[in-house]
Amino acid sequence: MLREASLSLFRFVARRRAPVTASDTHVHLVLERRSLYILPTREGLYYGAMLGVMLVAAVNYSNGLAYALAFLLAAIAVVAILHTHRNVSRLRLSAGPAPSVFAGAFATFTVIAHNDGDLVRRAVEVSAAGQTRRFDVPARGTTAIDLATPTTRRGYLAAPPMTFRTRFPLGLWRAWSRSLVLPMRCLVYPRPASPQPLPETPGMLTGPEASRSTESEDFAGLREYRQGDPAQRVAWKKVAAGHGWHTKEFVAPAGQIVWLEWNRLPLVGDEGRLSLLCRWVLMAEQQGIAYGMSLPGFTVAPDIGESHRDRCLERLALYEPPP
Amino acid sequence: MKIRPLTSFAESSVPAPTAADWLVGAALLVVAPLIRELPFWVSGGYIAAVAWRFLHTHWHWPQPGRWLRWVLAVTAVIAVQRYFGTLLGREPGVSLLVLLTGLKLLELRSLRDAALAAMLLLLIILGTFLYDNSLLLGLYTLAGVVAVTAAFVRLQQPALAPVAVARLAAVLVAQALPLMLVAYLLFPRLPDAVWALQTSEATGIMGMPDEMRPGNISALNTSDEPAFRAYFEKSVPPNSELYWRVRVFWDSDGRAWQEGPTFTSPSVLRAPQNSVSYRVVVEPNDKPWLPVLDLPLGAPSTVQVRAGFIYEAPRLRRERQTYDFVSYTRYRTGALDGIERRRALALPVSISERVRRLAGTWRAGSRNDADIVRSALAHFNTESFVYTLTPPRLGRDPVDEFLFETRRGYCEHYAAAFVTLMRATGVPARVVVGYQGGIYNPAGNYLIVRQSDAHAWAEVWLNEVGWARVDPTAAVAPSRIEYGIDGMRRLNSQGLPLNAAADAVLRAIQLPWLDRTWLRTRLAWDYVNFSWYLWVGDYTLERQAQFLARIGLTDWSVPAMVAILVQLVLLYALLQLRRRRPRDAVLHLYEKYCRKLARAGIARADAEGPVALSVRARTERQDWAAVIDEITSLYVALRYGRAAGAAELRSFARAVRAFRPRA
Repeated sequence: MLREASLSLFRFVARRRAPVTASDTHVHLVLERRSLYILPTREGLYYGAMLGVMLVAAVNYSNGLAYALAFLLAAIAVVAILHTHRNVSRLRLSAGPAPSVFAGAFATFTVIAHNDGDLVRRAVEVSAAGQTRRFDVPARGTTAIDLATPTTRRGYLAAPPMTFRTRFPLGLWRAWSRSLVLPMRCLVYPRPASPQPLPETPGMLTGPEASRSTESEDFAGLREYRQGDPAQRVAWKKVAAGHGWHTKEFVAPAGQIVWLEWNRLPLVGDEGRLSLLCRWVLMAEQQGIAYGMSLPGFTVAPDIGESHRDRCLERLALYEPPP
Repeated sequence: MKIRPLTSFAESSVPAPTAADWLVGAALLVVAPLIRELPFWVSGGYIAAVAWRFLHTHWHWPQPGRWLRWVLAVTAVIAVQRYFGTLLGREPGVSLLVLLTGLKLLELRSLRDAALAAMLLLLIILGTFLYDNSLLLGLYTLAGVVAVTAAFVRLQQPALAPVAVARLAAVLVAQALPLMLVAYLLFPRLPDAVWALQTSEATGIMGMPDEMRPGNISALNTSDEPAFRAYFEKSVPPNSELYWRVRVFWDSDGRAWQEGPTFTSPSVLRAPQNSVSYRVVVEPNDKPWLPVLDLPLGAPSTVQVRAGFIYEAPRLRRERQTYDFVSYTRYRTGALDGIERRRALALPVSISERVRRLAGTWRAGSRNDADIVRSALAHFNTESFVYTLTPPRLGRDPVDEFLFETRRGYCEHYAAAFVTLMRATGVPARVVVGYQGGIYNPAGNYLIVRQSDAHAWAEVWLNEVGWARVDPTAAVAPSRIEYGIDGMRRLNSQGLPLNAAADAVLRAIQLPWLDRTWLRTRLAWDYVNFSWYLWVGDYTLERQAQFLARIGLTDWSVPAMVAILVQLVLLYALLQLRRRRPRDAVLHLYEKYCRKLARAGIARADAEGPVALSVRARTERQDWAAVIDEITSLYVALRYGRAAGAAELRSFARAVRAFRPRA
């Protein structure tokens, strides 16, 4: 009997301690009463002790005003519970952007706090992954909070569990939420290896000419501008003439294409190879050399531009060795 | 990844300068009422510390280091101990609290330090209540509480605008007030002080003197200090019956009248008539005597009754006290016992020959004692005696001098002379001092009796009636008894004789409009303050029981009271939460529209959509078709559309209001 009770209590505690996650259909999390706790802070305990002293003094001296003061201050503390709880209660949270980063850098998760009520939420703190941010949310407004998380490995990084809390307005009470996990993730690219010369592909020019960049390519025509095309490829004259945004396309001569091939890499382990490929992608992009990539199981056709780069980096980030 | 609860900003950061300034402001505000009460070096040290804190915040003066603070703290303790000779009690305690709070203000290294400093400020407010319990102080400290609350808020959110901080603090305090009121009224009071720690000192209020000498009762007639207040269960008796006896003097050396050795003698009333029930609230006093109306019967258990119907508190209490008494204005007293007779006939040895002769003539010309009394009063009335507020000083034999030379006197001269003469004729007599009259306060339906109402009169023992009150002053100046001391003072200020004819007195004491208003204002203010006293200063176990009985809680106990208190707190919290819940105005209005439709006979079916409902309603009520369409389209736009805003909501509300299908 006792054992069952303690087990069910344990299960209850465990359930309460587990982070609240947003379901797929509801990307918003609301800080409901059930997921909020409130307890006195250490100052609140001191305040309680002070009230005790006041009450003893009031009783001892049979002093009406001292009674009134003690009760007024106690009532203020009671009212402060409501104010503190209300300051975080019904706060709605949704996931904002989480731009991709390279492993080792800090991933930034943007959390958006929505205030659907008519009262300003003040001095709310959010803690995640070892850091705390403080923010206000205006009445019927939103506030974006950036949370930086260190990254170590490539792949998707889920947003860390977050805890919201507040001590506003008096600092006598602390209301805090269960830890929340928002459905947001950050794509972490492999950490780029230290710079190494691009591989020599048949027909590729090496040496000083390689860095002479785009002039050696042949102009092939114009196409519609796409997000992420490098600025030096934009046909600025056309833009200036009011003909809209176009990107100049070049057909790199055979020698201006570099193939980044998994199988031709030195044997430095999977992660080492991915790091090196990552670095090369960046170098090729920087030097304006079209690059293709072949990994076990798939190939990316040669191209250049930010979208191409991101595609390659994503492949590298999510690479899983074939079984 | 393991998430560890972090130390929050609030716990680690240094209080912002703006928050420190609010603390400084609150610190000055709360200590202001104490400045006069504390030794100058305590107030000075505190102000210096507050100034130092201000200079540190704004001009980066160095904060005192830990060692210096310790040294200062120890110095403060030693200084208080040396100055007062003790660390216990009100003055040393409050002084120490104020000094250490000043020191704490110099140590605001974290928000926790600042919060502790703010709590010390609240304790200083408590300290001020040990000196004064007045209404004005209560209102003033309410501002102090708001200021300290604002400092708390400011510590949590230094960026908040000062106006917003002040408003939030005021809102918090205002929301707390009803709760405080309930807790204040219902919190069980204890029968008496737990450790009976009496600390208040004598406040030097001049009261009834220990003895009666020529000139020492008239010295009181300029003091408007209230002596006590009296509530009457029924109407207030006429002024001429308001004789408040405080002391009876038996012994005299020819100059001073004193009570002399105490003795016990039953205070018996025979055939009492005209009962008067009243409650007296006695001002703090350095004497235990209590005023009672002539003549009281029975006494509360907390009161001692002494010979001559003198009531006394068992121990000296330097605070207001409340007593309920019953008196009878028409009475006879019991027989005169041996010791009373001996004391009431004792003559001072120094009595002069002229006085004996005067007494002898009255004795010879009278058939009984009552005749002698009448002769004496006629003597005062017909001879050229003058009643004056400023009697001349008298020499070694004041009775003789007064009777035959100066003939100008205040009540004590007449009382002393009358009693001496009565004893010389062989009629037992004694001097009674107390108060006569009082100001009626119509605002609170009570009588204020001031020190200036002090009076002295005589009592003689007559065979048929026992002790009978005789006021020789009334024989000289009847208007003193009729109109009270204020009438006398007005006559005096206008240069009129105090024994003027009644109509002249009436004319003279008619107050001009401005004075009347001023008097009324003063009485109203006295009432407000006195009510404050009844509910704050004197809200004791008995008064709480009375109050609870009046609101219908007769049989209560401490746990029941606490339970009620907790329930009320919870109820209040729920109400607060409910009021803040945002309401869906659109839905509310639409439901109103549906109710109107239902009253007109078109009830909305379950799961019937707004458009379907409108189609049905329009066919049945073609006269309202346009409005129904408008309401429905606006509702759909507001509920499901994106572009709808405040303007649409307003026209929606207007349309729903205008929709009256039944009319």
